[in-house]
Amino acid sequence: MTDRVLLGAVAYDAKVIPIWEGIIDHFRGALVEMDVVWFSNYPAQVRALLDGWIDVGWNTNLAYVRVHRATDGRARVLAMRDTDVGFRTLLVGRGELEGANDLRGRTLALGSADSAQAAIMPVHYLGREGLSPGSDVALLRFDTDVGKHGDTGRSEREAVAAVLRGEADAAAVGAASWDVFVRGGDVPPGRLRPFWTSPPYNHCNFTARPTLPAEVATAWSARLFEMEWANPQHRRILQLEGLREWIAPELDGYRDVFDAVIDQGMADAS
Amino acid sequence: MRPSERGEDPAARFDGEDLDLASGLVFALDVCLSDLQVGEVLELSSSNPALAHELPAWCRGTGHELVDAEPDGPRTVYRIRRGERGALMFRDRPDWGVTPTFRHDGFDTRDWLVGKAGEIPDRADPATGFAPRGAVVESGSEPFPYTVTERDRVWAHNVASLYELATEGQWDASKDIRWRDLRPLPTHVERAVCQIMTHLAENEYAALYVPARFIPTIHPHFTEVVLFLSTQVVDEARHIEAFTKRALANGGGVQFSTALTQTSLRSLLEQEDFSQASFLLSVLGEGTFLEYLAFVERFAPDPVTADIVRRARIDEARHVAFGVEHARHYLGADPDRAQILHDAVERRAAFLADASGASPHVEEALVLLAAGGVSATRIREGTVAVRQLHDTMHRRRVRRLTQLGFPAGTAEAISELHTSNFM
Repeated sequence: MTDRVLLGAVAYDAKVIPIWEGIIDHFRGALVEMDVVWFSNYPAQVRALLDGWIDVGWNTNLAYVRVHRATDGRARVLAMRDTDVGFRTLLVGRGELEGANDLRGRTLALGSADSAQAAIMPVHYLGREGLSPGSDVALLRFDTDVGKHGDTGRSEREAVAAVLRGEADAAAVGAASWDVFVRGGDVPPGRLRPFWTSPPYNHCNFTARPTLPAEVATAWSARLFEMEWANPQHRRILQLEGLREWIAPELDGYRDVFDAVIDQGMADAS
Repeated sequence: MRPSERGEDPAARFDGEDLDLASGLVFALDVCLSDLQVGEVLELSSSNPALAHELPAWCRGTGHELVDAEPDGPRTVYRIRRGERGALMFRDRPDWGVTPTFRHDGFDTRDWLVGKAGEIPDRADPATGFAPRGAVVESGSEPFPYTVTERDRVWAHNVASLYELATEGQWDASKDIRWRDLRPLPTHVERAVCQIMTHLAENEYAALYVPARFIPTIHPHFTEVVLFLSTQVVDEARHIEAFTKRALANGGGVQFSTALTQTSLRSLLEQEDFSQASFLLSVLGEGTFLEYLAFVERFAPDPVTADIVRRARIDEARHVAFGVEHARHYLGADPDRAQILHDAVERRAAFLADASGASPHVEEALVLLAAGGVSATRIREGTVAVRQLHDTMHRRRVRRLTQLGFPAGTAEAISELHTSNFM
């Protein structure tokens, strides 16, 4: 039995390092310990997982879809954050828009092309509302930090700033990102207003390589689920990573993500 | 459906008017929800349509539950349940409505023991960090590296009174001393004064550094002790200032420092245990210093010198009082600790064995000060006075020690072992 799981994570920001160091500490002395390898971008991490070079990847929804497709569905999801379920995207405007259809003939600012919440999912759901982004709605894209799948939040901030400057009529922003901007005082009071919320979809998960022995995967997940909010040491890490508890996979919420990624021709891992 | 018909009654209501989260609703919600018990519901009425989009993520991010949202005319009524897993974890609620009693002249530190702030722990939790006594502390902080966490090892019953006396008794060594009243003195007398001032200042550095070094080791919930020791540090700073200024003020200068004094004081600085350090410094050292300062005041050749040492002695008396009362508390908790203190004195004496005997410079200066001149008659009188000073120092030390409960023989032995450097 492998006694150590090698986990890949994208170090999109320095704050990521202590989070995973804390999680490594939590696994110290466990039946299955773990170590972390840092990647600078998700495509590299996905390749490493497909090559069997790492055992588990902490993947965005886009990275997960790509691994799933490349392994014909044999890659196994081990766990998620409670906050990865029911993720939503908001459209934020300056107050004159009241619904998605008001976007017709206007300009929508999007974040990075590989960010599900800031580009892929809003384009997908607007299509469901009968709009054709790119023709019915002009798109202003901020493709910053491509490869990091929107983790840095920078492209969402740029999209919001474009609305404030009047260069776009609305911006697509993850609901959690918007809350961070609002609570952090980054949104000027009274100037912007969310007017549409997307249906729920899933965000990140731990994806294991298909060849990872089931008993290793199970022992690793069991240890992860022992982290609890009431434990002060754990809480510090959970807070930093934006969750209150790790949960077993709930895969239904990826259905729309699969559709969106495939429709938009982004499903290939290469 | 009217909001009041939707199941349980809300514990609180808030009219958010048209505020959105970015315009300040986040703060209002936080205030309202923090007044609720976990599981209770806040009813928020709002006319701002953006909340329908913003509130779900806010609730999730802050650990509350958005129960439901119902239209109410042009408004929407949201029901938010306070979550048990909020961003901050407090096990208790802070005090509210405590009322201390004031004295006619103000709010005395002896009277601040009200509510949780008045609960002085027998054993303090290092994980409360710098939180003031009585504060409700979020769980989960790393413990601070305090080594004095037991009340017995630091407390004195009169420490709050001594702190009050200390804050009342502060003086200004620059302006309160009438430096301009100094007049030229005979050279040997001025030199004696300057040598004594040098020696006093040197000793007061030790009396500053030793408590200063222990303050960061003491748990802040023994607040009164920390505050008192801080006044001790400031007192000693002022004494160093005043003694040094006196050495410089009248045409003399800062004089000699001997190896004996250095060794003696270093042995104080190297003490690792607060109670032992306090016993050596404050009970024995500063206790002896009271006689030293009284002697200098009695024979001071000018009113400025007399005034400085008189003021310093009043300050030192507080330090001695704290040291004695702490020793009493420390021994009261466990009488066997008398041996620990005795051992500390013996260890220090053994360390100082090579540095025994009085500092000749200081002895000579004290004789000259008492003599007031160098004639044979005066020197004889001065020598007698200094002998008497040593006797008085010894008797007073023995008296303090027997008052603390040391048997007469032990008290004699401890006093005999005390450094000839005085401190």
